[in-house]
Amino acid sequence: MRSNKVGWLLLTPTLLLLGVFGILPFIYVLFLSFHQWNPFGASPDRIFIWGNNFRRLVFDGEFLLSIWVTLKFAFFAVFSEIVIGYLLAQLFMREFPGRAVFRTIHTLPLIVAPIVVGSVWRLMTTPSIGIIPYYANQLFGIDINIGRDAGTAFMFTVIMDIWHWTPLVTLTLLAALLSLPKEPFEQAQIDGASRAQIFWHITLPMIRPAILATVFIRLMDALRTVDEVWMLTGGGPGAATRYIGLHIWKVVFPKTDYGYGSAISVIVLYLTLVMCWMLYVGLVAPRNKGN
Amino acid sequence: MAEVTVRNVKKRYGTVQVMHGVSVDIEDGQFVVLVGPSGCGKSTLLRMIAGLEQISEGQISIGGRVVNDVMPKDRDIAMVFQSYALYPHKTVAENMGFALKIKGAPKSEIDAKVQKAASILDLGHLLDRYPKQLSGGQRQRVAMGRAIVRDPAVFLFDEPLSNLDAKLRVAMRVEIKELHQRLGTTIVYVTHDQIEAMTMADKIVVMRDGRVEQIGAPLELYDHPSNTFVAGFIGSPAMNFIKGKVEAPGTFLAEGGARLPLPEVSAEAGRPIVYGIRPEHIDIGEGGVAARVSVLEPTGSETQVFARLGTDSIDAVVKDRLTVQPGTEIPLRIDPRRVHVFDGASGARI
Ligand SMILES: Nc1ncnc2c1ncn2[C@@H]1O[C@H](COP(=O)(O)OP(=O)(O)OP(=O)(O)O)[C@@H](O)[C@H]1O
Ligand SMILES: [Mg+2]
Repeated sequence: MRSNKVGWLLLTPTLLLLGVFGILPFIYVLFLSFHQWNPFGASPDRIFIWGNNFRRLVFDGEFLLSIWVTLKFAFFAVFSEIVIGYLLAQLFMREFPGRAVFRTIHTLPLIVAPIVVGSVWRLMTTPSIGIIPYYANQLFGIDINIGRDAGTAFMFTVIMDIWHWTPLVTLTLLAALLSLPKEPFEQAQIDGASRAQIFWHITLPMIRPAILATVFIRLMDALRTVDEVWMLTGGGPGAATRYIGLHIWKVVFPKTDYGYGSAISVIVLYLTLVMCWMLYVGLVAPRNKGN
Repeated sequence: MAEVTVRNVKKRYGTVQVMHGVSVDIEDGQFVVLVGPSGCGKSTLLRMIAGLEQISEGQISIGGRVVNDVMPKDRDIAMVFQSYALYPHKTVAENMGFALKIKGAPKSEIDAKVQKAASILDLGHLLDRYPKQLSGGQRQRVAMGRAIVRDPAVFLFDEPLSNLDAKLRVAMRVEIKELHQRLGTTIVYVTHDQIEAMTMADKIVVMRDGRVEQIGAPLELYDHPSNTFVAGFIGSPAMNFIKGKVEAPGTFLAEGGARLPLPEVSAEAGRPIVYGIRPEHIDIGEGGVAARVSVLEPTGSETQVFARLGTDSIDAVVKDRLTVQPGTEIPLRIDPRRVHVFDGASGARI
């Protein structure tokens, strides 16, 4: 069919670009992950070593720790963002004085570059001069030191991520809530459902697709956080906040161990895919028959 | 089961007033139909009874209890919405069983009730479908089923048959009437279809622009409409209205020049009136007024005749099959006892 041919012709530039900049690098990384290649090391040759890089990964304590803290970070950050984002979205559904102003202001963090967010939070949390440790100390007598205490540092990376990304969640969930028809909710009231039951049986299932889309986006983002955390804690103290992206950058690249670094990238990609797939299978697929 | 009392209810949206003091008494077990043209406030009144809309002024009570400040869920009502309002993510069975599930009824009981309602409404084969997989009429039946399953004190129906085809609508009409006879539950039913109103109601409330025009049994409204609005709204085809004045006792002079027989009414000669006669109360025969036929519409069982009386148009329904040509004159006979006389200015019945 002629129209089909024209279609392919029009698509060709896009496909070419996608191939050159998206697929080829990926294949190259996949290719490298099966090699030992350290061009600035003692033996700069690229040697095919089968799955040895992956075997090394499984026994790499630093890598495993990094995966673990990354998952923890992603879980706490995304979970809190969804909950807070939903509550804010519900708030914006109501009429209150200054709603429009507040709604605009609350999205401002979204337009701030991550590196700036990191610097600002760093300034605010620097022990003894930052505003947060200062007031925590003055008002509650709490000593906050993200340079020394691993738990505090972790908590602040999560809080920073929440501050930065909750508005995105609020906006998507608000859009979802605004698009809901109002009759099913009235029907549910008449059917005798309480507010909690309406939330659980009506609201939640109806905005489930929006929630899941948001979770996907935020999860993938959180799993590859680098710049903000790099600015705030530099991955420390110790390796407490050295999330996987940071780990690749701080530990693997300085050693110019490209084969091993590629293997980590491949594994992280694989983990992300598996998580999203599990979320999809577990939550979306069985429920979206009605939508 | 319960009676419903609406006492001088008003409704304002901001500064716009859409209900101007409506009062309706609905007895226990009665089938009451609210009719009126689009935008007259039928849905609003129904939603106020349901508790979905705040009452600006006045009082509504259900079963003797004032419900102005009672939540919808505590009013023991079931409602069928104009737009079905099905839960899109629940199957037909889940939609119908939701209220019972919320109440914590055992699964076996829910299943039994859903099955029963489904068989009444012929939904048995659709129980596992989702609303988006149903036709408009099927959705409407699911919405009905959802109300039936509840077994409430009062049913509120907002144009539940408006999306069905003619045949199904008649079948459902009978179904609802049977349901009412079997359950004996009070029903408040909104429609703008006067045939539905006439055939189903124990009592009809005719509304216009947020006011009640007349309340009464169907035939009462048909026989004694209290003004031209009700007279024109109830009955199909609509009543003929001819403007003119009383010429002499027993004679009406139309503006278009025709002279028609008047019943004995307390209207002095020269008073401007509106002369009302239903098409089905006109027949063709000796001694009638000459009218010029403009269009004939045979429907098989009867023939609708559109004719002109001088410059006024008049519309008659006759049982005979007419074979006259348009443009010929036929004699229209009007029984003065069937004539309705309304005031020329206010439209109120004289
Ligand atoms: N939320 C609202 N704000 C302002 N006016 C409203 C609102 N809802 C309804 N109205 C007005 O109230 C009047 C009554 O509306 P209602 O929906 O009760 O009409 P209805 O008799 O049910 O008409 P229909 O037969 O078309 O369903 C209408 O004039 C409508 O414009
Ligand atoms: Mg309506």
